[in-house]
Amino acid sequence: MGDYDLVDIEVTHEDADEVGGRLVVDPPDEQHLHSIQAVRLQAGQPDSELRSLKQLDENSVKMLEHQVDAAYRALFEMDGKALLADEVGLGKTIEVGMILKEMHFRETNDSVLILTPAQLAKQWQAELREKFGLEFVCNYDNNFNGFDSHDYIIASIDTAKSNRYRQAVLRRDWDVLVLDEAHYVKNEETDRYELIDQLTYNYAFFLTATPIQNELTDLYNVVSLLRPGLFGTRDVFHQYFINSDQETLVNRNELQDRLNKVMIRNRREDTDVDFTERRVDTRKFDPSPAERELYQAVSDYVKGAYSQDQGQKLVLMLLQKEVVSSPEAFETTIRKRLDDQSELAQTEELESIIDLIENIDTVTKQERLLDIVEEARENVEKGRVVVFTQFRATQRRVAERLASEGYTVHSFHGGHSSQEKEEIIESFEEQGGILVSTDAMSEGRNAQFCNILVNWDLPWNPMRVEQRIGRIHRIGQKRQVYVFNMALKDTVEEYVLERLYHKIDLFQQSVGELSEILTRLEESGKSFEDEIFERLVNANSEVDLENDFDAMAVDLQEQRDLAEKLEEFNSGVFEGFDLGASDD
Amino acid sequence: MTDAAVPVTQSTVESFTARYLRSLGCQIDIRDNEWQVTIPEDVETDLPKGQHNLLCDTVKDPDETHDILNPESSFFQSVLDDASDRVPLGSIKVSTTDTDILVPDWLQESPVSVSDINFTPYYDRSALVILFQVSVETVSEYQQEFLRSIGIDTRSNEILPNLDETFLTLTQSEAATVTSDDFTVEPEQAERLVDVSREPLLSDMQPQIDEIHQEASRAADAELEEYRQLQRQREEEFETKITRLRSKIGELNESIENRNQTERVEALKERRECKSKLEEVETELKALRHHREQGYPDQQHEIRERHGLEVVVTPVTVTEVEYERGDAEFELTDGNSTASLTLGYGSGVGVTEEVDCDTCNQPLSRENQLRSLTNGIQCGSCGSQ
Repeated sequence: MGDYDLVDIEVTHEDADEVGGRLVVDPPDEQHLHSIQAVRLQAGQPDSELRSLKQLDENSVKMLEHQVDAAYRALFEMDGKALLADEVGLGKTIEVGMILKEMHFRETNDSVLILTPAQLAKQWQAELREKFGLEFVCNYDNNFNGFDSHDYIIASIDTAKSNRYRQAVLRRDWDVLVLDEAHYVKNEETDRYELIDQLTYNYAFFLTATPIQNELTDLYNVVSLLRPGLFGTRDVFHQYFINSDQETLVNRNELQDRLNKVMIRNRREDTDVDFTERRVDTRKFDPSPAERELYQAVSDYVKGAYSQDQGQKLVLMLLQKEVVSSPEAFETTIRKRLDDQSELAQTEELESIIDLIENIDTVTKQERLLDIVEEARENVEKGRVVVFTQFRATQRRVAERLASEGYTVHSFHGGHSSQEKEEIIESFEEQGGILVSTDAMSEGRNAQFCNILVNWDLPWNPMRVEQRIGRIHRIGQKRQVYVFNMALKDTVEEYVLERLYHKIDLFQQSVGELSEILTRLEESGKSFEDEIFERLVNANSEVDLENDFDAMAVDLQEQRDLAEKLEEFNSGVFEGFDLGASDD
Repeated sequence: MTDAAVPVTQSTVESFTARYLRSLGCQIDIRDNEWQVTIPEDVETDLPKGQHNLLCDTVKDPDETHDILNPESSFFQSVLDDASDRVPLGSIKVSTTDTDILVPDWLQESPVSVSDINFTPYYDRSALVILFQVSVETVSEYQQEFLRSIGIDTRSNEILPNLDETFLTLTQSEAATVTSDDFTVEPEQAERLVDVSREPLLSDMQPQIDEIHQEASRAADAELEEYRQLQRQREEEFETKITRLRSKIGELNESIENRNQTERVEALKERRECKSKLEEVETELKALRHHREQGYPDQQHEIRERHGLEVVVTPVTVTEVEYERGDAEFELTDGNSTASLTLGYGSGVGVTEEVDCDTCNQPLSRENQLRSLTNGIQCGSCGSQ
């Protein structure tokens, strides 16, 4: 590349008479040898192994070779500034976890800022805590007091760039910056790009499976944030590496050499990541007339209440979810609401809903669960089953009923201490039977010794669903995994399952693929749960509702297609690039 | 010239520290991973005297009463600092008994094999092996340090490419016979030989320096481009400001016509301020444009100078190497024919004379291997015909 002028070189020769050494009278013979060896050791690279790995609990995190390699290269060969660009699903978060753990061990991480898309922030926090024992505060935590009050922070990038926090974020000198989904800073004219550009940090790790989103200049922008000057000026990059139709790279070898200094990209085919088959069985049941009546009454109530006061969205959303889970889950919330209620009209409506709860003799899902559990026990050797529900009240009811039928039942919820949680999982592994769990287990605790999972109710956030499945369907699972979804017909569950989750093939997606789809959706300013709720309460008729959900499914499908296309495009661009570690 | 740096593993750290401290006269009591080191008051060293409790390769944070001993620990760095400049001059003897006979480059990938070698030493020669530290610094990259060895014959000033490698291999061993006070080369001669070595050293390192040089130049260029864009942005801001001021002046011109006395005075005053501001901005814009047309020479100079490379070459140890010179007899066979070649040879240095192809008279080399003995010594080009 000859498009720039070379800077000057100044060579200074230190005098040989400096090589005098200190005045040592009659030095022992071996001391010259020691001087030679010391000089050579001073010039050598320190033994740069990842020492903190010995501290990790193998039950919490299973590290794969490509992940350890990536962490090693990022830290020791790239001087702590790296773009981790593995293909989707290879565990980039784990790589960053290892890096942060090692930096923590070496005490080079006095302040760490992790910027993620909003919906992934809590997941990052849970993974770093459970797998690496690293405690971070998240900007969604109640105890978050701003960016100058904590040293280990996970925050949504949009919160960090908001007027409220921006100055505080920029005022600090961060030791480490981690940027998840780094392709969202590809555009140099955005506030996000400006924020990263202005941040001060010593080490930085950017993550993306698709460094190139629209055009090859994206790669220039992302890499230049990490290593300014690596590609020279924008114009030179364009002229030298991109052909005139803007679609392909030229001078690939030179580009590869430069990228190798900052980017690590593992491809699935080069790793030993292998998952067993996942079989999904969705079972829909007709609710009893009493259940149907209750569902209708609650839906009408939620709709009416929301139209009057949108400020109560969260509690109304909760009611709508609880009514399809169990009468117990629902009753507590509705009674609390009744106690808080001052308006007579609503009081009457709530009272009549309570009457409807009392009319329910049999809970349909409860009976059908027994069928599933029995089937599993008959057909699968060591047929341990995990039943997931979102609500504690439902959990209690399900566990009691199963126990009364003579099953060995274990219960798991967020109220247990860490020690208790470990013991519950251990006894589930030893004794077998059924584990009835809330979503408290869906982060961190692994149970790959079990291969049957029942979704008693379904979270409206697809990431949660995948997290549940991820507890048993993960590296180390040797058997086929069975996922049973339970849903009541003609309820929101059926819509979410049929119209949304099945359309995007949710139950076959990996966490990486899902986060890509959802982050893209979030990019357009929408939250998945809100989308579902708004559609539910705003539809004027059954037909409207179906159409609305279909439209949402089309949106999702589009995002999924886009994510797939991008992944393919990036694979194409980097095809033939040997971007892995060299053996020599 | 050879890269003389060695990887710093935990076991090297422990073994070197123990040997060095003991050579100083320190006491070391080792119990598993815990060392108790006593550095007596009368030992001449910069290391802190007294008792030290060291934890080796620890995965725990030590308490205040312990130091860590691992590749990055400050205790180990102090040991290296203390040892490295303690006795930088010394000598070593390389004899055939210490080293294997070195087969010349042109035989290494040759179909001709060596059936026997005999070396007869005639006389001793001396050379210097110098370890040079080369540091390359620029603002855009971390400082990079290299350690290179080079061997040079004291009489002929000839660079001896294999000798420094032999030296590095020998001195890696704990049992190497090195002496610390037997340096017989005169200081002026040693200094001259060090100076003679600098040029071949730097030319050997040129590829590494070039790479850093290119990177620094690209970084300078990127910074300059950023500066250009910033200036262009400032020009645009000034242009907008000028347009605004001109239109304001236009508006004031009109209003001066139509207003009463007091308002007119106010408007005149405002117009005067605007005109003066306009003049100021126009001057600044003119200056900016002028700088742009000139290509921002001052800024270019400042940025390029700041990104300039600073290469510092420092000799850190000089060892006199006594080696033997004589003849080596190589018994060769290519399957059909045999031959015996007697060549000048030095212990640890290898063959010291060139061998030419009997057919084309081209010298044999790594690239031009000995191919056949059937019609005399034949190189790769001639022996295959």
